Amino acid sequence: MSSLFNDYQPGKFFDEVFSAPGAARAHYEGLLSSVGNLTPGDYSTLQKAVDAAFLRMGVTFTVYGDDQGTERIFPFDLMPRIIPQREWERVEAGLTQRITALNLFLNDIYHGQKILNDKAVPEELVLSASHYRPEFKGVKVPHGIYIHICGTDLVRDDKGEYFVLEDNGRCPSGASYMLENRHAMKRAFPGLLQSLPVRPVDAYGTMLRETLAHLAPKGVLEPTIVVLTPGIYNSAYFEHCYLAKQMGVPIVEGRDLIMRNDRVFMRTTKGLEQVHVIYRRIDDDFLDPLVFRKDSLLGVPGIINSYRKGHVALANSIGTGVADDKAVYALVPKMIEYYLDQEPILPNVQTFLGIKKKECAYILENLDKLVVKAVNESGGYGMLMGPSASKKERADFAERIKANPRNYIAQPVLQLSRHPVFVDDHFEGRHIDLRPYVLYGDRVRVVPGGLTRVALKKGSLVVNSSQGGGSKDTWVLWNDE
Amino acid sequence: MLSRVADSIYWMARYVERAENLSRLLLSTQDLLLDAGADGLDEEQFWRPILATTGDEEAYSAVHKKIKGRDVAAFVALRPENPNSILNSIRAARENARTVRDQISDEIWECLNGLRLFVESNEGRSTYRNQNAAFYERVLRRSYQFQGIADSTTPRGEVWHFLRLGTCLERADQMSRLLDTCSALSMEMPPHPQSRPLRWAALLRSCSAWHAFQAEHSKLDPKKIIEYLLLDETFPRSVACCVVELHQTLQRLCGVGSLHHMPSPVRRAGRLRSDLAYTTVDEVLAVGLHEYIDILQSRLNDIGVSIFQTFVLYADLTPVAEDAPEETTSTPALGAFHAHHDEDAQMQQQQQQ
Repeated sequence: MSSLFNDYQPGKFFDEVFSAPGAARAHYEGLLSSVGNLTPGDYSTLQKAVDAAFLRMGVTFTVYGDDQGTERIFPFDLMPRIIPQREWERVEAGLTQRITALNLFLNDIYHGQKILNDKAVPEELVLSASHYRPEFKGVKVPHGIYIHICGTDLVRDDKGEYFVLEDNGRCPSGASYMLENRHAMKRAFPGLLQSLPVRPVDAYGTMLRETLAHLAPKGVLEPTIVVLTPGIYNSAYFEHCYLAKQMGVPIVEGRDLIMRNDRVFMRTTKGLEQVHVIYRRIDDDFLDPLVFRKDSLLGVPGIINSYRKGHVALANSIGTGVADDKAVYALVPKMIEYYLDQEPILPNVQTFLGIKKKECAYILENLDKLVVKAVNESGGYGMLMGPSASKKERADFAERIKANPRNYIAQPVLQLSRHPVFVDDHFEGRHIDLRPYVLYGDRVRVVPGGLTRVALKKGSLVVNSSQGGGSKDTWVLWNDE
Repeated sequence: MLSRVADSIYWMARYVERAENLSRLLLSTQDLLLDAGADGLDEEQFWRPILATTGDEEAYSAVHKKIKGRDVAAFVALRPENPNSILNSIRAARENARTVRDQISDEIWECLNGLRLFVESNEGRSTYRNQNAAFYERVLRRSYQFQGIADSTTPRGEVWHFLRLGTCLERADQMSRLLDTCSALSMEMPPHPQSRPLRWAALLRSCSAWHAFQAEHSKLDPKKIIEYLLLDETFPRSVACCVVELHQTLQRLCGVGSLHHMPSPVRRAGRLRSDLAYTTVDEVLAVGLHEYIDILQSRLNDIGVSIFQTFVLYADLTPVAEDAPEETTSTPALGAFHAHHDEDAQMQQQQQQ
């Protein structure tokens, strides 16, 4: 057994690497036999070299509320998370099933609303979602696909079962870190990646481009695709640039685009050039000041009209946020049953809805045992960790729930799985999740792996980068060992 | 290529070139003083021209009462409040690079990002404090590295052309400013080589022309030096050489048409190129070096403005349909990245998921 892990304690959680102290799971053995032999000093030197490379390459996100416009690297832990083939196959099937059902659902509620008429899911709950866009009802979108790029968050419980925590059907971020993490690993452990059967992720750029090209208006064989960014002050600007570069398409800001005859053009040095497909990383609200927020400085006036007429395609489509509503999330298993007549392959986390009287009462009685979340918040904001919250915080949340029950859901506290993370000079267990990226173009494709996020703070269950989270490379194997 | 991107690439190149020129100027002035030190000369006469070249005399006197070497050097090198400092030029180059990261090679980006990390780091500051020559040399080397990387990784398309436009225009502009600092000096050859050719020698050094000039001319004749730096088409930093490339690059970007259809930047650059080619140094001196350079600078400036108007501002006026509405054009904003420091827009950018 290797020395670096001699004192490692998996604890009472599901540990990704060790089934018991000193007993590594089969799919980690290859990794441990080589990494485990490093001294803490060697390991720490490798880690520092990777951090310095990230800074030099500018693989950073912008810290808000800082006048200096400080850019930080997204903390990266060198030890990869490994997923064996059989496990991944199930995850992949589950994600495919889920994005299929979500797209059928969105197409339905923006057209006939059959699922509501059949009372398979409660109408008031769906139509009251704040990201539901009634003004978009009846608009035909290319191939009826609404979510082309989805970043579903998965977690594992104390038994190692996979659960879906949320679907990010608007602008999921992080794919660039997935790609850069692998790049860093190739530099740090070249021999290891060669000797283990790790599935590559670098086709993501090509896959994304193909997915987007599939949306091009009819008759356009060589569509002009662009990435629409809010601008360099957005925390994900690095990612927007990175993905544009991977795809070999221009990155544009709203002010680079202009409307002519309901078509979208970009201002180039040689005049105007028509744009056919836009991978937009701007929220619905800011996309078009003529339709949504009038004060938007980022959008393109008239772009929605062009989209309605089919002259330009947007990815993701408008109004997909309704599926990101955490109360609507609770209905996904029903959608899968209703549209596909299947059992969900990846279960939801048990969810209590504030809007339902009985469940709301249960939430209020059990605040000390539950995680309460506001339905439209993300990034680890607007939530109450019941067991660790103070009495005052719980009382405060109880008031908020009573005032607006539709806006809250609650879930039991999951004991997320843990993974060894290098701390100072040794390994300690930290909670992790997984965000795989699902693309829906001419077919559904899932990049093998995704972004494993780590709650770096000891004991923390929150993995978001804004809350002290970091990431790991994720290795999906071609086999099971 | 997007107009905004062209503008940023152009300014990225200009700022790198500016940082390089400032570093070399400070370095050569410092060396010059070491030679002149024994003469007990008034240091002001060496440092004031530097502020004059960068056009920062007023900004400087707002902070400092007297002109002292240390203060001037620090002001030009690292003062965050000085918009034209080496520090801010490097920041601006890097920010412009950041907005066009998808267009330039990773190697270019890493080079500029690394330079910015250096000048902002404790290492950078302590290098400057302990041995500022080492600091200047580091900036110079990075700039050469940038030129080399750009040359060997950039396809010869629009990115390259706008990069070269920025570099050549800035270089010509800096050279003309440097020459201007010597316009008040006597044109007489020093009576014997030991006496004091120092300022003219420093001028050659501050544009890396010392060896090249020596190889061509045996004596440090001020007239020859002016001719070399202003009119010689073979020396890569001379104004004439920069303008030749400027003209060629603009022709590649716009094509060569008849005079009637020739875009304004091509015409302006071509005219200046011919003027420089058919002007003798005696004619320059007859007008007066300072006066000549004044006109030269305003012509260079006009070329810059017409580049902006042709490629950035007017690009969206190309009619697509007969009924295309007239767009209102905003005033030219120079410096690209800096032009858009709108706080509301910044806040909205941050609000996006």
